[in-house]
Amino acid sequence: MPAAYKELQASREARCRTQSRAGIGLRAEHYRDVIEQRPPVGWLEIHSENYFGAGGRPLHYLDRIRADYPISLHGVGLSLGSTDPLSATHLRNLKALVQRCEPMLISEHLAWGSVAGRHFNDLLPLPYHPDTLRHMVERVGQVQDYLQRPILIENLSSYLEYSASDIPEWEFLAELARRSGCGILLDVNNVYVSARNHGFDAQEYLRGIPPHLVREIHLAGHTVKTFPDGELLVDTHDQRVTAAVWSLYRDATRRFVNVPVLIEWDAQLPALEVLVNEAQQAQTLLSETYADIA
Amino acid sequence: MLTLRELQLDFAAQVYDDEARGMDTRLRANGLTGARRLQVYRNNHLSSLTEALHAVYPVLHRLVGEKFFEHLATHYVRAYPSRCGDLHEFGAQVPELVSAFPGMEALPYVRDVASLEWSYHEVFHAAEHAPLDVARLASIAPQRYGELKFSMHPASRLLESPYPVLRIWQANQPDYGGDGVVDLQTGANRILVIRRALDVEFELLDRGDHAFLSALRDGKDFTAASDAASAVQSDFDVGAALQDFVARLVVVDFAL
Repeated sequence: MPAAYKELQASREARCRTQSRAGIGLRAEHYRDVIEQRPPVGWLEIHSENYFGAGGRPLHYLDRIRADYPISLHGVGLSLGSTDPLSATHLRNLKALVQRCEPMLISEHLAWGSVAGRHFNDLLPLPYHPDTLRHMVERVGQVQDYLQRPILIENLSSYLEYSASDIPEWEFLAELARRSGCGILLDVNNVYVSARNHGFDAQEYLRGIPPHLVREIHLAGHTVKTFPDGELLVDTHDQRVTAAVWSLYRDATRRFVNVPVLIEWDAQLPALEVLVNEAQQAQTLLSETYADIA
Repeated sequence: MLTLRELQLDFAAQVYDDEARGMDTRLRANGLTGARRLQVYRNNHLSSLTEALHAVYPVLHRLVGEKFFEHLATHYVRAYPSRCGDLHEFGAQVPELVSAFPGMEALPYVRDVASLEWSYHEVFHAAEHAPLDVARLASIAPQRYGELKFSMHPASRLLESPYPVLRIWQANQPDYGGDGVVDLQTGANRILVIRRALDVEFELLDRGDHAFLSALRDGKDFTAASDAASAVQSDFDVGAALQDFVARLVVVDFAL
Protein backbone atom coordinates (compact mmCIF):
# COMPACT_ATOMS: atom_id res chain seq x y z
CA MET A 1 0.00 0.00 0.00
CA PRO A 2 1.37 3.44 -0.89
CA ALA A 3 3.05 5.06 2.13
CA ALA A 4 1.34 8.36 1.31
CA TYR A 5 -2.15 7.24 2.12
CA LYS A 6 -1.02 5.33 5.15
CA GLU A 7 0.46 8.53 6.53
CA LEU A 8 -2.65 10.50 5.74
CA GLN A 9 -4.69 7.90 7.59
CA ALA A 10 -2.39 8.08 10.61
CA SER A 11 -2.97 11.81 10.93
CA ARG A 12 -6.73 11.35 10.41
CA GLU A 13 -6.83 8.84 13.26
CA ALA A 14 -4.55 10.93 15.46
CA ARG A 15 -7.04 13.80 15.33
CA CYS A 16 -9.71 11.52 16.74
CA ARG A 17 -7.78 9.64 19.40
CA THR A 18 -5.61 11.78 21.61
CA GLN A 19 -7.40 9.76 24.19
CA SER A 20 -9.71 7.31 22.56
CA ARG A 21 -13.38 7.49 23.25
CA ALA A 22 -16.23 5.05 23.23
CA GLY A 23 -18.81 5.44 20.46
CA ILE A 24 -22.17 3.99 19.54
CA GLY A 25 -23.81 2.74 16.37
CA LEU A 26 -26.13 5.39 14.88
CA ARG A 27 -29.55 4.03 13.95
CA ALA A 28 -32.40 5.86 12.18
CA GLU A 29 -34.65 5.58 15.27
CA HIS A 30 -32.17 7.77 17.18
CA TYR A 31 -31.51 10.56 14.64
CA ARG A 32 -33.65 13.14 16.40
CA ASP A 33 -32.47 12.22 19.88
CA VAL A 34 -28.83 12.44 18.83
CA ILE A 35 -29.37 15.90 17.38
CA GLU A 36 -31.43 17.17 20.31
CA GLN A 37 -29.59 15.50 23.19
CA ARG A 38 -26.02 15.53 21.85
CA PRO A 39 -25.14 12.41 23.85
CA PRO A 40 -21.70 12.33 25.49
CA VAL A 41 -20.12 9.75 23.18
CA GLY A 42 -16.87 10.16 21.27
CA TRP A 43 -18.05 9.12 17.83
CA LEU A 44 -20.77 7.38 15.85
CA GLU A 45 -20.66 4.48 13.45
CA ILE A 46 -23.06 3.91 10.56
CA HIS A 47 -23.73 0.96 8.31
CA SER A 48 -22.43 2.22 4.99
CA GLU A 49 -25.21 0.66 2.89
CA ASN A 50 -27.92 2.56 4.79
CA TYR A 51 -26.59 5.74 3.18
CA PHE A 52 -26.23 4.52 -0.41
CA GLY A 53 -29.49 6.23 -1.43
CA ALA A 54 -29.39 9.36 -3.59
CA GLY A 55 -31.07 11.62 -1.02
CA GLY A 56 -33.69 11.94 1.68
CA ARG A 57 -33.74 11.54 5.43
CA PRO A 58 -30.69 9.27 5.98
CA LEU A 59 -28.22 11.59 4.22
CA HIS A 60 -29.92 14.69 5.62
CA TYR A 61 -29.41 13.51 9.19
CA LEU A 62 -25.94 12.18 8.46
CA ASP A 63 -24.86 15.61 7.19
CA ARG A 64 -26.20 17.26 10.34
CA ILE A 65 -24.76 14.73 12.76
CA ARG A 66 -21.32 14.57 11.20
CA ALA A 67 -20.90 18.26 11.94
CA ASP A 68 -20.87 17.31 15.65
CA TYR A 69 -19.32 13.84 15.80
CA PRO A 70 -16.57 11.90 14.03
CA ILE A 71 -18.17 9.18 11.91
CA SER A 72 -16.93 5.73 10.97
CA LEU A 73 -18.32 3.60 8.16
CA HIS A 74 -19.02 -0.06 8.72
CA GLY A 75 -19.94 -2.07 5.63
CA VAL A 76 -22.08 -5.20 5.77
CA GLY A 77 -22.77 -5.93 2.11
CA LEU A 78 -19.57 -5.68 0.07
CA SER A 79 -19.06 -9.46 0.17
CA LEU A 80 -15.30 -9.05 0.29
CA GLY A 81 -14.59 -12.78 0.51
CA SER A 82 -16.79 -13.77 -2.43
CA THR A 83 -15.26 -15.19 -5.61
CA ASP A 84 -17.56 -12.98 -7.72
CA PRO A 85 -15.94 -9.73 -8.87
CA LEU A 86 -16.41 -6.88 -6.41
CA SER A 87 -19.47 -4.83 -7.33
CA ALA A 88 -18.43 -1.64 -9.12
CA THR A 89 -21.70 0.02 -8.07
CA HIS A 90 -21.17 -0.89 -4.45
CA LEU A 91 -17.62 0.48 -4.49
CA ARG A 92 -18.76 3.65 -6.22
CA ASN A 93 -21.48 4.20 -3.63
CA LEU A 94 -19.02 3.57 -0.83
CA LYS A 95 -16.51 6.02 -2.24
CA ALA A 96 -19.18 8.70 -2.68
CA LEU A 97 -20.14 8.22 0.97
CA VAL A 98 -16.49 8.41 2.06
CA GLN A 99 -16.14 11.70 0.20
CA ARG A 100 -19.36 13.00 1.68
CA CYS A 101 -18.68 12.28 5.35
CA GLU A 102 -14.87 11.96 5.57
CA PRO A 103 -15.02 9.10 8.05
CA MET A 104 -12.31 8.54 10.64
CA LEU A 105 -12.41 4.79 9.89
CA ILE A 106 -13.85 2.47 7.23
CA SER A 107 -14.42 -1.18 8.00
CA GLU A 108 -15.55 -4.36 6.26
CA HIS A 109 -15.80 -8.02 7.34
CA LEU A 110 -13.69 -11.13 7.05
CA ALA A 111 -16.61 -12.81 5.30
CA TRP A 112 -18.39 -13.55 2.05
CA GLY A 113 -22.08 -13.04 1.30
CA SER A 114 -22.73 -13.73 -2.36
CA VAL A 115 -21.89 -16.12 -5.18
CA ALA A 116 -22.88 -16.34 -8.85
CA GLY A 117 -24.72 -13.02 -8.59
CA ARG A 118 -26.93 -14.07 -5.68
CA HIS A 119 -26.63 -12.20 -2.40
CA PHE A 120 -27.50 -13.74 0.93
CA ASN A 121 -27.12 -10.47 2.85
CA ASP A 122 -25.35 -12.31 5.63
CA LEU A 123 -21.78 -12.56 6.89
CA LEU A 124 -20.65 -16.06 5.96
CA PRO A 125 -17.41 -17.60 7.23
CA LEU A 126 -14.45 -18.36 4.97
CA PRO A 127 -12.20 -21.39 5.13
CA TYR A 128 -8.90 -20.22 6.62
CA HIS A 129 -6.41 -21.55 4.15
CA PRO A 130 -3.42 -20.07 2.25
CA ASP A 131 -5.46 -19.83 -0.98
CA THR A 132 -8.21 -17.90 0.78
CA LEU A 133 -5.61 -15.66 2.37
CA ARG A 134 -4.17 -14.76 -1.04
CA HIS A 135 -7.68 -14.09 -2.30
CA MET A 136 -8.50 -11.81 0.65
CA VAL A 137 -5.20 -9.92 0.38
CA GLU A 138 -6.00 -9.19 -3.25
CA ARG A 139 -9.58 -8.13 -2.52
CA VAL A 140 -8.65 -5.86 0.40
CA GLY A 141 -5.99 -4.36 -1.89
CA GLN A 142 -8.59 -3.65 -4.56
CA VAL A 143 -10.82 -1.82 -2.09
CA GLN A 144 -7.96 0.20 -0.58
CA ASP A 145 -6.61 1.17 -3.98
CA TYR A 146 -10.05 2.25 -5.09
CA LEU A 147 -10.77 4.26 -1.94
CA GLN A 148 -7.18 5.48 -1.66
CA ARG A 149 -7.31 4.71 2.06
CA PRO A 150 -6.62 1.74 4.28
CA ILE A 151 -9.64 -0.09 5.64
CA LEU A 152 -10.17 -2.24 8.73
CA ILE A 153 -11.25 -5.86 8.58
CA GLU A 154 -13.45 -7.28 11.33
CA ASN A 155 -13.54 -10.83 12.67
CA LEU A 156 -17.07 -12.24 12.59
CA SER A 157 -19.15 -14.49 14.81
CA SER A 158 -19.34 -17.90 13.19
CA TYR A 159 -21.45 -20.97 13.75
CA LEU A 160 -19.35 -23.48 11.82
CA GLU A 161 -15.75 -24.25 10.93
CA TYR A 162 -14.69 -25.85 7.65
CA SER A 163 -12.49 -28.94 7.80
CA ALA A 164 -10.41 -27.26 5.08
CA SER A 165 -9.38 -24.50 7.51
CA ASP A 166 -5.80 -25.06 8.57
CA ILE A 167 -4.92 -21.61 9.93
CA PRO A 168 -6.44 -20.29 13.18
CA GLU A 169 -8.66 -17.27 12.54
CA TRP A 170 -6.43 -14.90 14.54
CA GLU A 171 -3.37 -15.87 12.50
CA PHE A 172 -5.32 -15.49 9.28
CA LEU A 173 -6.53 -12.03 10.29
CA ALA A 174 -3.11 -10.86 11.45
CA GLU A 175 -1.46 -12.12 8.27
CA LEU A 176 -4.13 -10.48 6.12
CA ALA A 177 -3.40 -7.17 7.87
CA ARG A 178 0.37 -7.55 7.48
CA ARG A 179 0.19 -8.39 3.79
CA SER A 180 -2.54 -5.99 2.68
CA GLY A 181 -1.77 -3.07 4.98
CA CYS A 182 -5.31 -3.05 6.36
CA GLY A 183 -5.99 -2.61 10.07
CA ILE A 184 -8.04 -4.88 12.30
CA LEU A 185 -11.41 -4.14 13.80
CA LEU A 186 -11.44 -6.57 16.69
CA ASP A 187 -14.95 -7.51 17.71
CA VAL A 188 -14.50 -8.80 21.24
CA ASN A 189 -18.04 -10.18 21.37
CA ASN A 190 -17.38 -12.10 18.15
CA VAL A 191 -14.15 -13.51 19.59
CA TYR A 192 -16.11 -14.68 22.63
CA VAL A 193 -19.02 -16.10 20.58
CA SER A 194 -16.78 -17.99 18.13
CA ALA A 195 -14.51 -19.24 20.95
CA ARG A 196 -17.53 -20.73 22.71
CA ASN A 197 -19.01 -22.13 19.49
CA HIS A 198 -15.78 -23.77 18.34
CA GLY A 199 -14.04 -24.47 21.62
CA PHE A 200 -10.92 -22.33 21.18
CA ASP A 201 -9.35 -20.11 23.81
CA ALA A 202 -10.39 -16.46 23.53
CA GLN A 203 -7.20 -15.39 25.36
CA GLU A 204 -5.08 -17.20 22.79
CA TYR A 205 -7.00 -15.28 20.09
CA LEU A 206 -6.16 -11.94 21.74
CA ARG A 207 -2.51 -12.96 22.16
CA GLY A 208 -2.35 -13.90 18.49
CA ILE A 209 -3.27 -10.40 17.29
CA PRO A 210 -0.34 -7.96 17.15
CA PRO A 211 -1.41 -4.88 19.19
CA HIS A 212 -0.37 -2.28 16.62
CA LEU A 213 -2.76 -3.71 14.00
CA VAL A 214 -5.95 -3.11 16.01
CA ARG A 215 -7.56 0.27 15.25
CA GLU A 216 -11.07 -0.27 16.52
CA ILE A 217 -12.92 -2.57 18.91
CA HIS A 218 -16.57 -3.62 18.79
CA LEU A 219 -18.75 -4.76 21.68
CA ALA A 220 -22.30 -6.12 21.38
CA GLY A 221 -24.81 -8.44 22.97
CA HIS A 222 -25.38 -12.04 21.89
CA THR A 223 -27.97 -14.74 22.48
CA VAL A 224 -27.54 -18.35 23.60
CA LYS A 225 -29.59 -20.81 21.53
CA THR A 226 -30.11 -24.21 23.06
CA PHE A 227 -30.67 -27.32 20.94
CA PRO A 228 -31.18 -30.97 21.99
CA ASP A 229 -27.56 -31.71 21.01
CA GLY A 230 -25.92 -28.64 22.52
CA GLU A 231 -25.90 -24.87 22.34
CA LEU A 232 -24.71 -22.11 20.04
CA LEU A 233 -24.05 -18.48 20.78
CA VAL A 234 -25.59 -16.24 18.13
CA ASP A 235 -24.43 -12.68 17.48
CA THR A 236 -27.80 -10.93 17.70
CA HIS A 237 -26.86 -7.33 18.65
CA ASP A 238 -30.16 -7.10 20.50
CA GLN A 239 -29.15 -6.67 24.14
CA ARG A 240 -26.55 -5.46 26.59
CA VAL A 241 -22.97 -6.69 26.47
CA THR A 242 -22.67 -9.76 28.74
CA ALA A 243 -20.45 -9.88 31.83
CA ALA A 244 -18.14 -12.43 30.19
CA VAL A 245 -17.62 -10.13 27.19
CA TRP A 246 -16.97 -7.11 29.44
CA SER A 247 -14.34 -9.18 31.19
CA LEU A 248 -12.73 -10.18 27.90
CA TYR A 249 -12.82 -6.52 26.84
CA ARG A 250 -11.01 -5.56 30.06
CA ASP A 251 -8.25 -8.01 29.04
CA ALA A 252 -8.26 -6.61 25.52
CA THR A 253 -7.75 -3.02 26.74
CA ARG A 254 -4.47 -4.10 28.37
CA ARG A 255 -3.15 -5.49 25.13
CA PHE A 256 -4.74 -3.05 22.66
CA VAL A 257 -4.15 0.22 24.44
CA ASN A 258 -6.19 3.31 23.70
CA VAL A 259 -8.21 1.92 20.83
CA PRO A 260 -11.63 3.47 20.04
CA VAL A 261 -14.43 1.15 21.10
CA LEU A 262 -18.00 0.92 19.82
CA ILE A 263 -21.27 -0.39 21.24
CA GLU A 264 -23.30 -2.08 18.48
CA TRP A 265 -27.03 -2.57 18.91
CA ASP A 266 -29.16 -3.33 15.85
CA ALA A 267 -32.28 -5.26 16.86
CA GLN A 268 -34.81 -4.62 19.68
CA LEU A 269 -33.29 -1.16 19.75
CA PRO A 270 -33.64 0.50 23.18
CA ALA A 271 -33.73 4.20 24.07
CA LEU A 272 -30.60 6.14 23.16
CA GLU A 273 -29.62 6.51 26.82
CA VAL A 274 -29.24 2.73 27.18
CA LEU A 275 -26.65 2.73 24.40
CA VAL A 276 -24.94 5.77 25.88
CA ASN A 277 -24.85 4.03 29.23
CA GLU A 278 -23.17 0.98 27.68
CA ALA A 279 -20.69 3.25 25.95
CA GLN A 280 -19.90 4.92 29.28
CA GLN A 281 -19.11 1.52 30.79
CA ALA A 282 -16.74 0.85 27.93
CA GLN A 283 -15.27 4.32 28.36
CA THR A 284 -14.56 3.65 32.03
CA LEU A 285 -12.65 0.46 31.24
CA LEU A 286 -10.83 2.09 28.35
CA SER A 287 -9.78 5.11 30.45
CA GLU A 288 -8.73 2.98 33.43
CA THR A 289 -6.19 0.98 31.47
CA TYR A 290 -5.08 4.04 29.53
CA ALA A 291 -4.38 5.83 32.82
CA ASP A 292 -2.53 2.77 34.18
CA ILE A 293 -0.29 2.49 31.19
CA ALA A 294 0.11 6.08 30.03
CA MET B 1 -9.50 -29.89 -2.13
CA LEU B 2 -12.38 -27.69 -3.27
CA THR B 3 -11.57 -24.25 -4.56
CA LEU B 4 -13.11 -21.36 -2.66
CA ARG B 5 -15.58 -20.87 -5.50
CA GLU B 6 -16.71 -24.49 -5.43
CA LEU B 7 -17.16 -24.29 -1.69
CA GLN B 8 -19.23 -21.11 -1.98
CA LEU B 9 -21.43 -22.60 -4.71
CA ASP B 10 -21.99 -25.76 -2.68
CA PHE B 11 -22.71 -23.78 0.46
CA ALA B 12 -25.28 -21.65 -1.37
CA ALA B 13 -26.96 -24.67 -3.01
CA GLN B 14 -27.22 -26.62 0.20
CA VAL B 15 -28.12 -23.84 2.61
CA TYR B 16 -30.42 -21.73 0.46
CA ASP B 17 -31.75 -24.21 -2.12
CA ASP B 18 -31.93 -27.35 0.04
CA GLU B 19 -29.78 -29.35 -2.38
CA ALA B 20 -27.62 -32.06 -0.84
CA ARG B 21 -24.03 -31.07 -1.63
CA GLY B 22 -22.32 -32.78 1.28
CA MET B 23 -21.56 -29.45 2.99
CA ASP B 24 -22.38 -30.88 6.41
CA THR B 25 -19.56 -33.43 6.01
CA ARG B 26 -17.07 -30.69 5.17
CA LEU B 27 -17.42 -29.06 8.56
CA ARG B 28 -15.36 -29.72 11.64
CA ALA B 29 -17.18 -32.22 13.86
CA ASN B 30 -17.52 -30.45 17.16
CA GLY B 31 -20.60 -31.05 19.29
CA LEU B 32 -23.53 -29.92 17.18
CA THR B 33 -24.21 -31.63 13.86
CA GLY B 34 -23.21 -29.98 10.61
CA ALA B 35 -26.87 -29.86 9.59
CA ARG B 36 -27.70 -27.89 12.76
CA ARG B 37 -24.91 -25.40 12.10
CA LEU B 38 -25.99 -24.87 8.48
CA GLN B 39 -29.56 -24.42 9.67
CA VAL B 40 -28.49 -21.35 11.66
CA TYR B 41 -27.37 -19.69 8.43
CA ARG B 42 -30.55 -20.75 6.61
CA ASN B 43 -32.68 -19.22 9.38
CA ASN B 44 -30.62 -16.02 9.61
CA HIS B 45 -30.96 -15.46 5.89
CA LEU B 46 -34.70 -16.00 5.83
CA SER B 47 -35.38 -13.93 8.92
CA SER B 48 -33.23 -10.96 7.89
CA LEU B 49 -34.71 -10.85 4.38
CA THR B 50 -38.24 -11.24 5.76
CA GLU B 51 -37.51 -8.37 8.11
CA ALA B 52 -36.24 -6.26 5.21
CA LEU B 53 -39.51 -6.91 3.33
CA HIS B 54 -41.55 -6.10 6.44
CA ALA B 55 -39.73 -2.76 6.73
CA VAL B 56 -40.76 -1.81 3.17
CA TYR B 57 -44.23 -3.40 3.23
CA PRO B 58 -45.76 -2.71 6.68
CA VAL B 59 -49.28 -2.22 5.25
CA LEU B 60 -49.14 -5.44 3.25
CA HIS B 61 -47.97 -7.13 6.46
CA ARG B 62 -51.01 -5.76 8.32
CA LEU B 63 -53.43 -6.70 5.56
CA VAL B 64 -52.37 -10.33 5.26
CA GLY B 65 -51.19 -10.94 8.84
CA GLU B 66 -47.89 -12.08 10.30
CA LYS B 67 -48.15 -15.77 9.35
CA PHE B 68 -49.18 -15.23 5.76
CA PHE B 69 -46.59 -12.50 5.32
CA GLU B 70 -43.87 -14.93 6.40
CA HIS B 71 -45.24 -17.47 3.94
CA LEU B 72 -45.15 -14.82 1.18
CA ALA B 73 -41.63 -13.75 2.15
CA THR B 74 -40.35 -17.34 2.07
CA HIS B 75 -41.64 -17.67 -1.50
CA TYR B 76 -40.31 -14.28 -2.47
CA VAL B 77 -36.80 -14.95 -1.20
CA ARG B 78 -36.65 -18.07 -3.40
CA ALA B 79 -38.42 -16.73 -6.47
CA TYR B 80 -36.62 -13.39 -6.53
CA PRO B 81 -33.21 -13.86 -4.88
CA SER B 82 -31.43 -10.77 -3.62
CA ARG B 83 -29.04 -9.38 -6.25
CA CYS B 84 -27.39 -6.69 -4.22
CA GLY B 85 -25.36 -6.24 -1.06
CA ASP B 86 -27.52 -3.23 -0.29
CA LEU B 87 -30.77 -4.61 1.13
CA HIS B 88 -32.65 -1.42 0.18
CA GLU B 89 -32.70 -2.76 -3.38
CA PHE B 90 -34.50 -5.92 -2.28
CA GLY B 91 -38.26 -6.34 -2.67
CA ALA B 92 -39.15 -4.56 -5.93
CA GLN B 93 -41.11 -7.53 -7.30
CA VAL B 94 -43.38 -8.08 -4.31
CA PRO B 95 -46.39 -6.54 -6.15
CA GLU B 96 -45.76 -9.01 -8.98
CA LEU B 97 -45.61 -11.94 -6.57
CA VAL B 98 -48.79 -11.05 -4.68
CA SER B 99 -50.81 -10.43 -7.85
CA ALA B 100 -50.75 -14.15 -8.64
CA PHE B 101 -50.25 -15.66 -5.21
CA PRO B 102 -52.54 -18.49 -4.09
CA GLY B 103 -54.77 -17.27 -1.26
CA MET B 104 -54.78 -13.63 -2.34
CA GLU B 105 -57.85 -13.82 -4.59
CA ALA B 106 -60.07 -12.26 -1.91
CA LEU B 107 -57.83 -9.18 -1.67
CA PRO B 108 -57.61 -7.94 -5.28
CA TYR B 109 -56.34 -4.49 -4.18
CA VAL B 110 -53.27 -5.85 -2.42
CA ARG B 111 -51.04 -5.72 -5.48
CA ASP B 112 -51.66 -1.96 -5.84
CA VAL B 113 -51.18 -1.34 -2.13
CA ALA B 114 -47.82 -3.13 -2.42
CA SER B 115 -46.93 -0.98 -5.46
CA LEU B 116 -47.75 2.11 -3.40
CA GLU B 117 -45.44 0.91 -0.62
CA TRP B 118 -42.58 0.22 -3.05
CA SER B 119 -43.08 3.70 -4.58
CA TYR B 120 -42.94 5.18 -1.10
CA HIS B 121 -39.69 3.30 -0.42
CA GLU B 122 -38.07 4.47 -3.67
CA VAL B 123 -39.19 8.05 -3.19
CA PHE B 124 -37.93 8.05 0.41
CA HIS B 125 -34.35 7.38 -0.80
CA ALA B 126 -34.42 9.28 -4.12
CA ALA B 127 -32.42 12.40 -4.95
CA GLU B 128 -33.34 15.97 -4.13
CA HIS B 129 -33.85 18.46 -6.98
CA ALA B 130 -33.97 22.25 -7.31
CA PRO B 131 -37.10 23.89 -8.76
CA LEU B 132 -37.32 24.35 -12.53
CA ASP B 133 -35.24 27.23 -13.84
CA VAL B 134 -38.02 29.52 -15.05
CA ALA B 135 -35.64 32.07 -16.58
CA ARG B 136 -34.14 29.35 -18.71
CA LEU B 137 -37.61 28.30 -19.82
CA ALA B 138 -38.46 31.92 -20.70
CA SER B 139 -35.47 32.00 -23.03
CA ILE B 140 -36.94 29.26 -25.23
CA ALA B 141 -38.68 30.45 -28.39
CA PRO B 142 -42.48 29.85 -27.98
CA GLN B 143 -42.74 28.01 -31.31
CA ARG B 144 -40.49 25.30 -29.84
CA TYR B 145 -42.51 24.70 -26.66
CA GLY B 146 -44.21 21.69 -28.19
CA GLU B 147 -40.90 19.86 -28.52
CA LEU B 148 -39.85 20.40 -24.89
CA LYS B 149 -39.40 17.31 -22.80
CA PHE B 150 -40.22 18.14 -19.20
CA SER B 151 -39.06 15.87 -16.44
CA MET B 152 -40.59 15.07 -13.10
CA HIS B 153 -38.93 15.37 -9.69
CA PRO B 154 -36.58 12.37 -9.21
CA ALA B 155 -38.32 11.69 -5.90
CA SER B 156 -41.75 11.16 -7.47
CA ARG B 157 -43.75 8.20 -8.75
CA LEU B 158 -47.20 7.80 -10.31
CA LEU B 159 -49.64 5.07 -9.53
CA GLU B 160 -53.09 4.20 -10.83
CA SER B 161 -55.46 1.68 -9.30
CA PRO B 162 -59.13 0.75 -9.73
CA TYR B 163 -59.28 0.61 -5.88
CA PRO B 164 -59.12 3.33 -3.22
CA VAL B 165 -55.58 2.28 -2.26
CA LEU B 166 -54.68 5.56 -0.62
CA ARG B 167 -57.57 5.16 1.86
CA ILE B 168 -56.48 1.59 2.47
CA TRP B 169 -52.90 2.73 3.09
CA GLN B 170 -54.04 5.49 5.45
CA ALA B 171 -56.40 3.23 7.39
CA ASN B 172 -53.49 0.88 8.04
CA GLN B 173 -51.05 3.37 9.52
CA PRO B 174 -50.07 2.90 13.18
CA ASP B 175 -51.38 6.38 14.11
CA TYR B 176 -54.68 6.10 12.18
CA GLY B 177 -57.66 7.16 14.28
CA GLY B 178 -60.64 6.33 12.01
CA ASP B 179 -62.94 3.33 11.96
CA GLY B 180 -60.80 1.45 9.43
CA VAL B 181 -63.73 0.84 7.09
CA VAL B 182 -62.88 1.40 3.44
CA ASP B 183 -65.60 1.03 0.82
CA LEU B 184 -63.90 -0.65 -2.13
CA GLN B 185 -66.54 0.88 -4.42
CA THR B 186 -65.44 4.45 -3.63
CA GLY B 187 -63.55 4.47 -6.86
CA ALA B 188 -60.22 4.50 -8.57
CA ASN B 189 -57.15 6.29 -7.28
CA ARG B 190 -54.57 8.11 -9.36
CA ILE B 191 -51.79 8.96 -6.97
CA LEU B 192 -48.67 11.08 -7.09
CA VAL B 193 -46.08 9.97 -4.53
CA ILE B 194 -43.59 12.76 -4.02
CA ARG B 195 -40.89 13.91 -1.59
CA ARG B 196 -40.04 17.60 -1.90
CA ALA B 197 -38.08 17.90 1.35
CA LEU B 198 -37.89 15.10 3.92
CA ASP B 199 -41.43 13.75 4.09
CA VAL B 200 -43.04 11.56 1.48
CA GLU B 201 -46.46 12.91 0.47
CA PHE B 202 -49.38 11.50 -1.49
CA GLU B 203 -51.57 13.59 -3.78
CA LEU B 204 -54.66 12.41 -5.62
CA LEU B 205 -54.67 13.45 -9.27
CA ASP B 206 -57.43 14.17 -11.76
CA ARG B 207 -57.62 12.06 -14.85
CA GLY B 208 -56.04 14.77 -17.03
CA ASP B 209 -53.19 15.56 -14.65
CA HIS B 210 -52.38 11.90 -14.33
CA ALA B 211 -52.33 11.37 -18.11
CA PHE B 212 -50.18 14.49 -18.57
CA LEU B 213 -47.59 13.47 -15.94
CA SER B 214 -47.54 9.85 -17.09
CA ALA B 215 -46.68 11.04 -20.58
CA LEU B 216 -43.87 13.22 -19.24
CA ARG B 217 -42.56 10.33 -17.17
CA ASP B 218 -42.55 8.17 -20.29
CA GLY B 219 -40.39 10.71 -22.11
CA LYS B 220 -43.12 12.24 -24.32
CA ASP B 221 -42.75 15.84 -25.46
CA PHE B 222 -45.05 18.66 -24.35
CA THR B 223 -47.39 18.35 -27.34
CA ALA B 224 -47.84 14.62 -26.90
CA ALA B 225 -48.37 15.02 -23.16
CA SER B 226 -51.01 17.74 -23.72
CA ASP B 227 -52.78 15.51 -26.25
CA ALA B 228 -52.75 12.59 -23.84
CA ALA B 229 -54.33 14.74 -21.12
CA SER B 230 -56.96 16.28 -23.44
CA ALA B 231 -57.91 12.83 -24.67
CA VAL B 232 -59.08 11.81 -21.19
CA GLN B 233 -60.30 15.23 -19.99
CA SER B 234 -61.72 17.56 -22.65
CA ASP B 235 -61.44 20.74 -20.53
CA PHE B 236 -57.79 20.10 -19.57
CA ASP B 237 -55.93 23.43 -19.38
CA VAL B 238 -52.35 22.47 -20.14
CA GLY B 239 -50.87 25.92 -19.49
CA ALA B 240 -52.39 26.15 -16.03
CA ALA B 241 -51.43 22.55 -15.27
CA LEU B 242 -47.79 23.06 -16.22
CA GLN B 243 -47.55 26.24 -14.19
CA ASP B 244 -49.05 24.48 -11.20
CA PHE B 245 -46.72 21.45 -11.48
CA VAL B 246 -43.68 23.72 -11.76
CA ALA B 247 -44.80 25.74 -8.73
CA ARG B 248 -45.36 22.56 -6.71
CA LEU B 249 -41.99 21.02 -7.68
CA VAL B 250 -43.60 18.13 -9.55
CA VAL B 251 -42.01 19.21 -12.84
CA VAL B 252 -38.43 20.30 -12.19
CA ASP B 253 -36.49 20.29 -15.43
CA PHE B 254 -36.74 20.24 -19.21
CA ALA B 255 -34.65 19.45 -22.26
CA LEU B 256 -35.00 20.44 -25.86
